[in-house]
Amino acid sequence: MSYFLRKLGFYAIALWAALTLNFAIPRMLPGNPVDILLAKLQQRGGTVSPETREAYALLLGGDDSSPLWKQYFDYLGNLARGDLGVSVSYYPANVSDVISQSLPWTVVLVGLSTIIAAVLGVALGAFVGWKPGTWLDSLVPATTLLAAVPYFWLALILTYLLARVLGWFPLQGGYDVTLTPGWNAEFIGSAIHYGFLPALTIVLASIGGWLMGMRNMMVSTLSEDYILTAEAKGLSPRKIMRSYASRNAVLPSVAGFAISLGFVVSGSVITEQVFSYPGIGSRLLSAVQNNDFALMQGVFLFITLAVLGANLVVDMLYGVIDPRTRARS
Amino acid sequence: MSPTKGTRRRAAAALAGTAALGLLMSACSGSGGDGGSAEADTLIVTSQAGDMQINFNPFSLSRIGGLGTIYEPLFFFNKAQVSDPVPLLGTEQAWNEDGTELAVTLREGVTWSDDEAFTADDVAFTFDMIKNNPSINNSGYDGVVEVVDDTHVVFSFEEPAFVKGPDLLSTPIVPEHLWQDVNPAEDVMENPIGTGAYTFKDFKPQAFTIEANPDYWGGEPEVKEVRTIALSGNQAGADAIAAGTADWITSPIPDIQNTNENFPNYEHYTQWQSQMVLSTCSSAEMGCEGPQTDPAVRHALYYAIDRSQLNSLAFQETAAEMSPTFALTPSQDEFVSDSVSEPVAPMEPDPAQAGQILEAAGWAKGEDGIYAKDGERLTLTVELVSGWTDYITAVDTIASQAAEAGIEIEAAQSSWNEWTEKKGTGEFQLAIDSLWQGPAPDPYYLYTYFFASAAGAPVGETAGNNYSRYSNPVVDEALDAIAQLPTDDAEARQPYFDTIHAEIVRDMPYIPVMTGGTTSIWNITKFSGWPSDEDLYAYPAVWSAFDMAEILKHLEPNG
Repeated sequence: MSYFLRKLGFYAIALWAALTLNFAIPRMLPGNPVDILLAKLQQRGGTVSPETREAYALLLGGDDSSPLWKQYFDYLGNLARGDLGVSVSYYPANVSDVISQSLPWTVVLVGLSTIIAAVLGVALGAFVGWKPGTWLDSLVPATTLLAAVPYFWLALILTYLLARVLGWFPLQGGYDVTLTPGWNAEFIGSAIHYGFLPALTIVLASIGGWLMGMRNMMVSTLSEDYILTAEAKGLSPRKIMRSYASRNAVLPSVAGFAISLGFVVSGSVITEQVFSYPGIGSRLLSAVQNNDFALMQGVFLFITLAVLGANLVVDMLYGVIDPRTRARS
Repeated sequence: MSPTKGTRRRAAAALAGTAALGLLMSACSGSGGDGGSAEADTLIVTSQAGDMQINFNPFSLSRIGGLGTIYEPLFFFNKAQVSDPVPLLGTEQAWNEDGTELAVTLREGVTWSDDEAFTADDVAFTFDMIKNNPSINNSGYDGVVEVVDDTHVVFSFEEPAFVKGPDLLSTPIVPEHLWQDVNPAEDVMENPIGTGAYTFKDFKPQAFTIEANPDYWGGEPEVKEVRTIALSGNQAGADAIAAGTADWITSPIPDIQNTNENFPNYEHYTQWQSQMVLSTCSSAEMGCEGPQTDPAVRHALYYAIDRSQLNSLAFQETAAEMSPTFALTPSQDEFVSDSVSEPVAPMEPDPAQAGQILEAAGWAKGEDGIYAKDGERLTLTVELVSGWTDYITAVDTIASQAAEAGIEIEAAQSSWNEWTEKKGTGEFQLAIDSLWQGPAPDPYYLYTYFFASAAGAPVGETAGNNYSRYSNPVVDEALDAIAQLPTDDAEARQPYFDTIHAEIVRDMPYIPVMTGGTTSIWNITKFSGWPSDEDLYAYPAVWSAFDMAEILKHLEPNG
C-alpha cells in the first residue's frame, strides 16, 4: 500500500511545481496585452488614438499593481475554486468557457487518432517482429520515413492529394457550418467526414514509432528461454506469438501509450493550424501571441493535468500488472 | 504587403515552412474554384484568426462582427478617397461657427429589427452611455448631447471639436430599450438588435451568419446571407480561394497578379493605405541612442532605397509610391504643401545624393566603404518580427541597397510581442512598420497619432503611437491650430499643413519606404458591384467593418 501512497505524494509535489511554473513562465513574456491587442486592432483597420489606448487599458485592467506573491496566492486560490479567470483576447469570455468549447474537439480528434495509431502500430509491429528478416521488415523504414518527414509537410501533401486533387475530403474546418452542432447523425457524420483527413495525418505520422518499438521488443523477446521452452512443449506458433511473445513485448508500449495520451491535449497546434480545425491548440497559439496570461495558464493547466494524470495511471497500472515493480520498491 | 499583418502574421514562425509549402502547392495547381460556394445569394467571407467566441457587442475589442452590418453609425466615412460622409442614421450634420456645437438631423421612419422605433433618444442614450463608461470611450468623447425633437440632436463641446466629428459620427448607435440595463463593456450581445441592413441568424465557433433585414430603411439588400467562416490564417485563406469555399478574403495569395488566370471566378483588387516606414528612435533628447538620431543619416537612407526593386522583390508589385509628407498618394495629394520639392519619394536610388548628405553632416567614408564619424561606424539595426516574410525580404533588400550608399544595415528578428515592447520603450534604432490612417480621409489624424509629442515618451517609458519619440513644438502648435478649424475649410487649414510638411520632411523621424497595398480577392462570377477605380465607394477590406457593410449593400448576386 505504501507504494501507492508514495507515488501519490510524489505526484502532489510534481503538480505543485507544475502549477508554480505555469504561473511564472507566462509572466516572463515580453510585452503586455493592451499593446498587443491595440496593435492587432490597428492591423484590422481600426483607428488607434491615445484615447483608445486609455479606454482599453482601463477595460483590461492592470493587476500588475498588486505584488507578485499576492498574485501567486490569488492564482492558487482561484485554481482551487476552479476559477481560471477571464480571457483577455476573448474578453469578456471566461477561460473555462473558451477551453470547454474547444477541448472536446481536440480530445476526440487527437485522442482517437492516438489510439488508432497505437493499436495499429503495435499489432503490425508484433506481426513484423514475429518474422524478422522477411520482406515484412521493409514496413519499418517505410513507416519511420513517414514519422521522420516534418509533420506539417506530410499534412499538406495529403491535403493536396486527397482534398484538392481528388476532392474526397473537405480542405479545412471541423464540421459543415450549415449544420447545427448537436448529437444528431447528420452533424456527427459531417464531423467524421471533416475529421478524417486530420486524423489520417496524425496516424500516419505516429504509427512508425509504435511499429518499430513493438517489432524490436518482439525480436528480443523471441530469443528468451521461455519462448524456446514453449516451442519445445509443442505449442502452436500462433499461441506462442499471442500469449508468450506479444504479451511480454507489449509492456513498454503500454507505458508509452499512456504517456502519449497525456500529450493529446498539447499535441495539436500544428494540426489545427493546417486544417483550421477547432480545438485547443489554436487557442493556445492565440493566447501566447496576445499575452493572454489567463488563457495560457488555463491551457497549460489542462496539459499538465493530462500528462501527470496519464503518468499516474501508468505507475498504478504497472504496480498491478507487473508485480516486480512493487516488489523491488 | 497588406496591412492584414494582424491575421497574416499570426502564423507562428514554426509554421513558416507550412506557408512555404503552401505557396508551392497553390502555385502549381491552377485547378479548383468550381464556381464558388453553394448558395447563390450567400456571400462567404473569412475571419483568419482561428475559432470564434460569440461577441456582437459593437464596443468590444473582441467582437467578431455586427459593426456596420447590424449596428449602424450616423454617417459612413469613406477612407478610400476624399469625399463627403454618406448619410446612414443621420441625414444632415452641421457645426456652428466655432466648432462647439454639432447639429445632426436623424433619419425618419427607421425601426430596430425588433420593430421598436428608432428615435433621437437612442442616439442620446448611446453617447451618454459611452461617456459614462470610460472603458468603451475609445475616441475620448466628452460632449453633451441634447435631444431637440425625435429627429434632431445637438452635441455640444467646451472646446472646438471639429476634428472629433468623424469619430463621433462613426459611433454605432444602440437601442436604449435593450441596452439600458446591460454593462456595455462586458455584455457579449448574443442576440444583437440593430437598425442595419442585416440581422443576426446563427453562430457556431467555426462560422456565423447574418441575413438580410427585409425592413431595412434603405431597402432589403440583394445579398441575402453573409457567412463568416473561421480560418486559421492566411495560408488557409489562400486554400479557401483555391477550393472555392470563400467568396472574399483580404490577404495575399501566391502569384497574386495572375489571380484571374489561376482562378477564373476570382479577381484581385488592391488599395493603398498603410504607409510602410523604417521608424527610427529619432530624438537624442528623449534618450535615443545610435547614428539614426542624426537627421542626415535618415535622409541618406531615404535616398539609398531602390523602391522599384523593393516592390518587385518583397511586395509582389502590390505596393505603391509614398509621399514624405505622409499624405496618402494619390488620394490625399490635395493636402501636400506646394513648397515640398519632392512630393513623392523617388522610386530609384540616388547613392550619390545620400553620400553628399552624409558628408555635409561630417561623416566620412572609411576604408571598408562604410561611412563613419568620430570613430563611430554607420551601422544600424532594424528590428523586425520573425515570420513577417515580406518585411524580412524588404529589410534584406534595403540592406544591400544601403551598402551601396555606405550604410550598413543589420536585421534583428524577434517575436511580435518582443518587437512591440522594444518599440514602446524605445530600445531600438530602426524598426520596419507601417503607419495607419484616422477615421476620415484626412492626414491630420496620422500627424496627431505619430508626430505629436503628446503621443511620445522618453526612452524607458512606454510611448503611445509616436514611438519615434519625435517632439517638435512647431508641429504641435500647428496641430492644435488645425483642431480649431472646420475640417472642410481647406483654405484655412492648408498653411498649417504646409508648416507640418516642411518640418516633418526636414526631420523625417519615420523614413518613408512605400505605401503598402491591401489586396482583396473576391468572386466576380457570383457577385457584381465590387469597389473599383471608377467607383471607389468604400475601402475594400473584409476586416474594415464599416466599409464591409457598405460593400455588402452594393453587391448583387449574378445568378
